[in-house]
Amino acid sequence: MKELAEVLKDWEAVIGLEIHTELTTLDTKMFCGCTLSHDDEPNAHVCPVCLGLPGALPVPNERAIEYIVKAGLATNCQIQKRSMFYRKHYFYPDMAKNFQTTQGPVAFCMHGRLDLDVRGRGAAERPECAFGEGEASSLASASANAVGLSASMGEQMPEGASCGGAGELGLPERFDDGSYRVPIRILRIHMEEDAAKLNHLGGEEGRITAAAESLVDYNRCGTPLIELVTEPDLRTPEEARLFMEKLRRIFLTLGISDCSMEKGSMRCDGNVSLRRRGETALGTKTELKNLNSFKALHDGLAYEICRQAEVLEEGGVIYQETRHWEPSRKRTVVMRVKETADDYRLFPDPDLAPFDLSDEFIDRCASELPELPDAKRDRFEGAFGIKRADAEQIAGDPATAAFFEQAADGLAGKAAQVVANLIVNELAGYLKAAGASLEESGIAPTQVASLARLLAEDAISSNQAHEVFEAMAESGDDPEKIVDERGMRQVSDAGALQPIVDEVLARCADQAQQYRDGNQKVIGFLVGQCMKASRGSGNPKLFNELLRASLS
Amino acid sequence: MAWIDSLSAAQIAAGVVAGEFGATEVARASLDAVECRDAEVGAFLQVSADAALEAAARIDASRAAGDPLPPLAGVPLAIKDNMNLAGTRTTCASQMLASYESVYTATCVQRMLDAGCLPIGKVNMDEFAFGSSTENSAFHPTNNPWDLERVPGGSSGGSAAAVAAGEVALSLGSDTGGSIRQPASFCGVVGMKPTYGAVSRYGVVAFGSSLDQVGPFGRTVEDVALAMNALTAPGRDPLDGTSQEFAVDFCEHLDDGVTGRRVGVVPALMEAEGLAPEVRRAVERAAAQLEQQGAQVVEVELPHLDAAIAAYYVIGPAEAFSNLARFDGIRYGYQEEDCANLAQQSALSRAHGFGREAKRRQMLGAYLLSSGVYDKYYYAAQKARTMITRDYARAFEQVDAILMPAAPRTAFKHGELSDPTQMYLSDLYTISLNIAGNGGISVPLGLGEDSGLPVSAQLVAPAFHDRELLTYARALEVAFGAAPVAPACAQKGGELA
Repeated sequence: MKELAEVLKDWEAVIGLEIHTELTTLDTKMFCGCTLSHDDEPNAHVCPVCLGLPGALPVPNERAIEYIVKAGLATNCQIQKRSMFYRKHYFYPDMAKNFQTTQGPVAFCMHGRLDLDVRGRGAAERPECAFGEGEASSLASASANAVGLSASMGEQMPEGASCGGAGELGLPERFDDGSYRVPIRILRIHMEEDAAKLNHLGGEEGRITAAAESLVDYNRCGTPLIELVTEPDLRTPEEARLFMEKLRRIFLTLGISDCSMEKGSMRCDGNVSLRRRGETALGTKTELKNLNSFKALHDGLAYEICRQAEVLEEGGVIYQETRHWEPSRKRTVVMRVKETADDYRLFPDPDLAPFDLSDEFIDRCASELPELPDAKRDRFEGAFGIKRADAEQIAGDPATAAFFEQAADGLAGKAAQVVANLIVNELAGYLKAAGASLEESGIAPTQVASLARLLAEDAISSNQAHEVFEAMAESGDDPEKIVDERGMRQVSDAGALQPIVDEVLARCADQAQQYRDGNQKVIGFLVGQCMKASRGSGNPKLFNELLRASLS
Repeated sequence: MAWIDSLSAAQIAAGVVAGEFGATEVARASLDAVECRDAEVGAFLQVSADAALEAAARIDASRAAGDPLPPLAGVPLAIKDNMNLAGTRTTCASQMLASYESVYTATCVQRMLDAGCLPIGKVNMDEFAFGSSTENSAFHPTNNPWDLERVPGGSSGGSAAAVAAGEVALSLGSDTGGSIRQPASFCGVVGMKPTYGAVSRYGVVAFGSSLDQVGPFGRTVEDVALAMNALTAPGRDPLDGTSQEFAVDFCEHLDDGVTGRRVGVVPALMEAEGLAPEVRRAVERAAAQLEQQGAQVVEVELPHLDAAIAAYYVIGPAEAFSNLARFDGIRYGYQEEDCANLAQQSALSRAHGFGREAKRRQMLGAYLLSSGVYDKYYYAAQKARTMITRDYARAFEQVDAILMPAAPRTAFKHGELSDPTQMYLSDLYTISLNIAGNGGISVPLGLGEDSGLPVSAQLVAPAFHDRELLTYARALEVAFGAAPVAPACAQKGGELA
């Protein structure tokens, strides 16, 4: 198979994402009072409602509505004042009622947009391209089909938009450094309930086929779930990954979910089709499942694009099917072929009255929105003068952003950048290795601020900073204490270091001569000897200067 | 000492409060009446003697302790078997749930128990409330206490028969297309379908969620008013998103009379094909009585009422298909043995667990909701719904209430109506209220001169004017006399010891 970069020279990939996010930070389920918790004993959190017992009725969780409205506002969606819940029928034991309560043609949030900044290697995957006339509308209707909705469900079309009126497909904006910015349209974000978890025992790979028995855990059943559907505006696996990362940062900042792709509280399916560059008609798409990490999302799509290109280039046909990404074997395999659309018999749920969101409610949600990652990144870049890439990374995680603001309080420019470096390199690296959250680590912003001060004052070297950080994280001690106890404080007093320089030069007369003879490189050896003689406490830069002065 | 069936619910509660007899004696008398009468009537699917006696003992202990007693203290209650009562089976008269035991209690049942009622047992119905005769019960038919060869109506046939037979003073039923008002009419008792949202549906096994409403049966209007108080007084049920606050004392204005009130009659309904002359004459006499008591009788039109049955047989089956989808034999209920796989297990459990009418309605609903068909029927039915609701709103600009038959005829014989569409037509006068949502009450007018069987009128009011319905019903009760216990049953067992 060809490499992705090569394939994308000839082919344009058209990608749309469907992203499910469990609102894990809520206390209770979507339609009953059961505690939201997936980690407990199976079926510890169930009641007549989420078990679908005869006679039970749903009552919507108002906080969940608040959360989805905030998600919509944060992704530039139009909030629909009137929308309804629908019943989507299918017979499977993961849904106790044999229907899922979801939304119909009008979701709480319609027609949003997120801008992506694509830099570096990934930016090269999207060559300059002109978009054909009328493309936006053909794509919009294709995506409406993708979620299986018709506009004639007896419900009014969304406010402020005609049928499929998601706005024009935006053109990417190129910058001089080769990066580009592209708007990605969001079709909708709707509210639904999650299904129960099935555990298939004794079969192959935990699948139902040939399983000796299948157990159902209804703890997850009824978990509030929001599904975001993008327009098919994405063109590269890198864009898909960036979209997912950006969305995750926004949802984390809103505090509506723990957004764990590993645990499945944030899940992504990808739809992808290919067409020759310059063509406007859409190719046949496949749907990809099991994209449960950013890497899987990228690699799965990249593989599928290359696979489709190979099939098409050999004169083959792409079938509309659902494929499963196998990360271990780096390939996608067919799960099921969709010959006909499933008939879910969608109709408005008669147990749940239509929602009429008031302006006051929407305004309150808007007023409660926290500073979003993009705005925060811009502020960090502007007010603290740190690098944009660092600002973006720090601003993306609410806890880290708050930590940075405390640690860099009152600092700007180089001093703030030192704090940012410590957070991006030392702190992030430590947390990843320890598998701990920032909160769990117990590291305080004041500790990082002290460490940054020691670095800025040249009291320690950056190598030492790493050692001090590790010790600080392990012991909880303040950096000053660690530096003092270990005698690490860097000596930057020329008077104190000159005797060491004299001693080393006396001992290493040969190397000293080599330097005088024009071999500049040998200075490194001499600095090393000085460092060794000072047991690491001397300032290497100062040693360097003193050595050069003594030898000239 | 008195027979239990000679006392109304109000009289029983008053007697218990006054200490004329204990709640335990009442429970025993009611259980004895069931023992002696129900072999013939067949109203009960399950007698919960222990629960009834326990509830009675608690009331007697309260009284002994000098605690205040609730308003329906010691009143024997029968519960339609689609209502959950923890510790009892809730079968919906279906093989599908023949052994299903409730793990929680429906709000309506709990409120009646909190008001002091004694749960005598669970009563028969058409399977999952699909029917108008109680002949669709998977277990046994129920006989009309006035003529055992005849049906009690349905689907709440057991609830109506148990009250008419004097086995209990009050019962609960549910009404999706007339399932309270039509059997009340066939059995000659008072039956009320409150406005949709007035009574919580939580814990009542759903048939058509947008149509179902729980209501009481009693032999007097006052008893029904007391039951309505019990059902609504605690306020809206937070467990039912469609229930509404309804803070009204239903007993307060019972005897206000109808002077100056405008009562509508609908000529098209009085001339409808299939309306038995004795029923028509009885309803005309009722109109005359109300006029004599000072009401003004006015003709009004409900032009789109003929669309109600059609709309009902779209909306009802569609919602039923969805609501009954959960009965798949996996978690509870009838489960087919030795199946090859999951799909076969749920398919065969459903094929063998549901009766014919239950399957017919679900298949109809599955068809009506399928893509391509949905727009044509479901959407049209919703439009019809809007038009019928508007018809009532217009009519209620001219009148305060509307008087019409509750059922086109008196009780028919078992097996007499074998064509399901014929059966569907027996809900002609009741269905439009489930479509529009407002309340209605079936009031006995004595016996029809041709059949010698109970005949009723139905009164209809605007949404949440249910209290006024009871005032009109009381006016008719004064004129026509309170509903007697069916003579064949009266004083057969059930003596208060």
